[in-house]
Amino acid sequence: MIKNYLLLTFRNMSRNKVFAFINIFGLSIGLAACILIFLYTKDELSFDRFHQNTSRLYQLTCTVKSHDGKLETYGIAGNIHAEAFKAEIPEIKEFVRLRDDDLVIKIGDQSYEEKLWWADKNFFSVFSFPLIEGDKNSVLKDMKSMVISEEYAKKYFGNENAIGKIIEVEFDDQFVPFTVTGIAKKTPQNSSIKFDMIASFDYLQSMNPKPAWFMLSYPSFLVLNENADVKAIANSMQKVYNSKSGYQKMEKDGFDSKFIWGLQPFVDMHLNKDIKYSMSVSDPVYSYILSCIALFILIIACINFVNLMVAQSLKRSKEIGVRKVIGGSRKQLFVQFIGEAFTMCFIAFGLAFLIAELSLPYFNTLAEKELSIGYLFDAKLIAGFVLLFLITVLASGFYPALVLSGFDPVRTLYNRTTFSSKNYLVKGLVVLQFSLATFLIIGTLFIYNQLNFLKKVDLGYDDKNLLQVSISKGDNMALLRQFQDKVAALPGVESVAPTMDGDWVTSGKVDGKNIEAKYDFIGEEFLPTMKVPLIEGRNFSKEFPGDTSTCVLVNQAFVKEVGWKGSAIGKTIKELNGMEQNLKVVGVVRDYHFESLHEKIIPQVFTCDKMVTLQRFLISIGQKNKSKTLAGIEQVYTQLLPYHPFKYEFIDDVNKQYYKAEDKWKQIISMAAILTIFISCIGLFGLSSLAVQKRVKEIGVRKVLGASVMQISNLLTRNFISLIAIAFVIAVPAAWYAGNMWLQNYAYRMPFNASIFLLALVIILVVSLATISFQSIKAAITNPVKSLRSE
Amino acid sequence: MIKITNLEKYYRTDEVETVALNKISIEIKQGEFVAVMGPSGCGKSTLLNVLGLLDDADNGSYLFNGTEVIKYNERQRAQIRKQNIGFVFQSFNLIDELSVYENVELPLIYLDVKPSERKTRVEEVLDKMQIMHRKKHFPQQLSGGQQQRVAVARAVVNNPKLILADEPTGNLDSSNGNEVMQLLTDLNEKGTTIIMVTHSEHDSKYSHRIIRMLDGATVTENILM
Repeated sequence: MIKNYLLLTFRNMSRNKVFAFINIFGLSIGLAACILIFLYTKDELSFDRFHQNTSRLYQLTCTVKSHDGKLETYGIAGNIHAEAFKAEIPEIKEFVRLRDDDLVIKIGDQSYEEKLWWADKNFFSVFSFPLIEGDKNSVLKDMKSMVISEEYAKKYFGNENAIGKIIEVEFDDQFVPFTVTGIAKKTPQNSSIKFDMIASFDYLQSMNPKPAWFMLSYPSFLVLNENADVKAIANSMQKVYNSKSGYQKMEKDGFDSKFIWGLQPFVDMHLNKDIKYSMSVSDPVYSYILSCIALFILIIACINFVNLMVAQSLKRSKEIGVRKVIGGSRKQLFVQFIGEAFTMCFIAFGLAFLIAELSLPYFNTLAEKELSIGYLFDAKLIAGFVLLFLITVLASGFYPALVLSGFDPVRTLYNRTTFSSKNYLVKGLVVLQFSLATFLIIGTLFIYNQLNFLKKVDLGYDDKNLLQVSISKGDNMALLRQFQDKVAALPGVESVAPTMDGDWVTSGKVDGKNIEAKYDFIGEEFLPTMKVPLIEGRNFSKEFPGDTSTCVLVNQAFVKEVGWKGSAIGKTIKELNGMEQNLKVVGVVRDYHFESLHEKIIPQVFTCDKMVTLQRFLISIGQKNKSKTLAGIEQVYTQLLPYHPFKYEFIDDVNKQYYKAEDKWKQIISMAAILTIFISCIGLFGLSSLAVQKRVKEIGVRKVLGASVMQISNLLTRNFISLIAIAFVIAVPAAWYAGNMWLQNYAYRMPFNASIFLLALVIILVVSLATISFQSIKAAITNPVKSLRSE
Repeated sequence: MIKITNLEKYYRTDEVETVALNKISIEIKQGEFVAVMGPSGCGKSTLLNVLGLLDDADNGSYLFNGTEVIKYNERQRAQIRKQNIGFVFQSFNLIDELSVYENVELPLIYLDVKPSERKTRVEEVLDKMQIMHRKKHFPQQLSGGQQQRVAVARAVVNNPKLILADEPTGNLDSSNGNEVMQLLTDLNEKGTTIIMVTHSEHDSKYSHRIIRMLDGATVTENILM
């Protein structure tokens, strides 16, 4: 019997190649999407679970309660906390502190800039990062020891054994030799901690031995006793902090933040985005969105399957009738049709793996992962696939099997089977398909438009041909000055503006009102270089020596926030940076977007203190001979800092980086939209061709009676187009709602734009019309004699 | 073998009720060859479908081999059908996707006959119908006469006691038609009861008895023997 079913399935497929192709190909795309998302989700959920200690491993967290009652939790601590807690609390067995620095290293004569990790010496015994060479208990024992990854051993030492080699690391113009004592295997891609060079924390500690109770910058991890009471330990940690840190004295001095200590299971770290500065955090919403998209695509493919099987059932009604007449029961026929669905899904599944494998490199780029199909083969995932397979078989095969097996043999054999033209299910499913497709089209257009809007927003300064170069020589004022002068003298360089590195926010008091502001140390070159105009007053200037200590510039947002009426020039800021200063406003700068457009422009204060070293240089260069100008700057840089690799960034590239996530989502959503439209349309193609087949005689009669090609193709197209119109009406409010929710992420949103919806309508209509017309025009131009004869 | 009494069958649409069988009573004995004749739409095919348990009647009694089957459900009727009744249609109704051999084999599959026995029986019947050489062909590759021979082969492969034929020669030329009629006659001579709906006076002459119908009722019965 099974052989008979299989035979029939394959013969049916080869006879109806187009439908078999649509069904199998559509399903396999949907399944491939599911496979990729399975991979992605598995990877996300498996993060950090390869460590042996996971049940006892926790991250130290600090919740900071600021003076206004705001709570923020951080995944970092000071250099002292983990150590102090372990000393006092016996349930804490071990602790590991980490920190990364971008440093210049030297191997032989060559220097490079690398990220160097510092870790306590028990790092390799607490975490399960296997070593190829070296003993996990002692590799970081020596203060100047260093472990490098196998990749780096190869990169820097080739085929030579790296053990015992010297890597020099620069601190304050001095190169300190570290010895390679171990080689680590490449860190797994599902590890939050990823390193290529890791050195002993003891050395870092020796440079800054002072315990820092109130500076948070070290990710710290604790190993607890088996079955330890985490809550009780957190309480004990708080007690230790309260008694040892001396925060009471700090509070008297005006320190108004409260630290609340806690523990987070190490394996929960990756998917918890609420804890700031945890290592490698991923927002689980990505997994949800991707899963929804995969499900969308699979549903659409299953709908094709159901629709085509049901629509094709007329063709198969004779077979069903015959089988019933000669003794086939409904149950047997049901099994037969489910069997057909099973076979097709099985082929689709095989094809899906192939598609997934082929599209994996592209998916990896999108998802920023290094997934491989081999990753799939574990018992749980295989069980998951079997389940997915069975669900797909049922979703696609159950309803058609029910309908087809229920045909009345007498009606089928005497050609009395008519298919109700109402057929709400097929129509409903087509509406559902196109609603999903339209939803995604509108979503794509939302993202495109908002991104375009962001790119066109006037930032308030000119980010073209503007680059930044940082020099990490904090105290060497002369060198910084030299760099500025030499670069400014280069042909092609228009101006050079030193500023302070990093983003600083400070609080101040103006007219008795507390105010939070972005704080920038600049020179007089800053505004002309950025091409930011002054609204009133003047820029800092060498002609006013008093500028360096007593004067400030503010932006318009500052003036607005404080509520100064009339001119702001001459007004004073009583307190800034927690100090009484009495600073006089000499100029108001037009607001400009110093952050991404996710954020509103906040108040900004500029000071010009000649005693502060300004290590970041904004360099405006001419459009012509850019590469020559850059080479000139590099030459100046390497002359002054011979061991430092020259690095620069164009500000417009930096700005683009703000929208990297959006760019990624733009690609993902547009890909999903294209796939859903594609699958929906191949389904539509199948349905329209079946509709034409059903009406061959009608078309023939109408033509004989004088209908034109246009009239006939309208007749065939009308029904489908009205379904698509309904789908559009359903999708618009949903997409509008989702789009608006998404736009809430931005302080600056594109204006409401009805053309998005219009464009979506045009796209969906054009694509579906093209799909249907192919069939309907073909039917309309067929010679009626032929169609009537075929009846 | 078959006894129907006061059998009624209606077709209803929203507004119209059509009487297809109007209190019809017939008895057919084992081994008979009966032709049912009458103008188009007089209820011949409906009668055949009711007799074949493909369709149900609205009123009356139907004794099949002495058992009242009028109230049987779909499953019970399928059971009787596959064990006792073979069907031959005007338009052959072969499954296009199956070969000659597979078409003939199908009833045996539904009867759960073992593969080895199936092979023997299918080959035997194909041989008898003289289409053995075409067993691997598909229906579209055969002439009308050949297709109807395959249909007859399929109808008799499970040795039914009753064959219901609905205009078996309607789509055939006269020489092919005669061949098929000869096949049916041969089967009848070996004991199979045959009820045949036909428009052809020529074909009806092969039967023992002609039942003439009009508007859903029997009008005359001619005995030809």
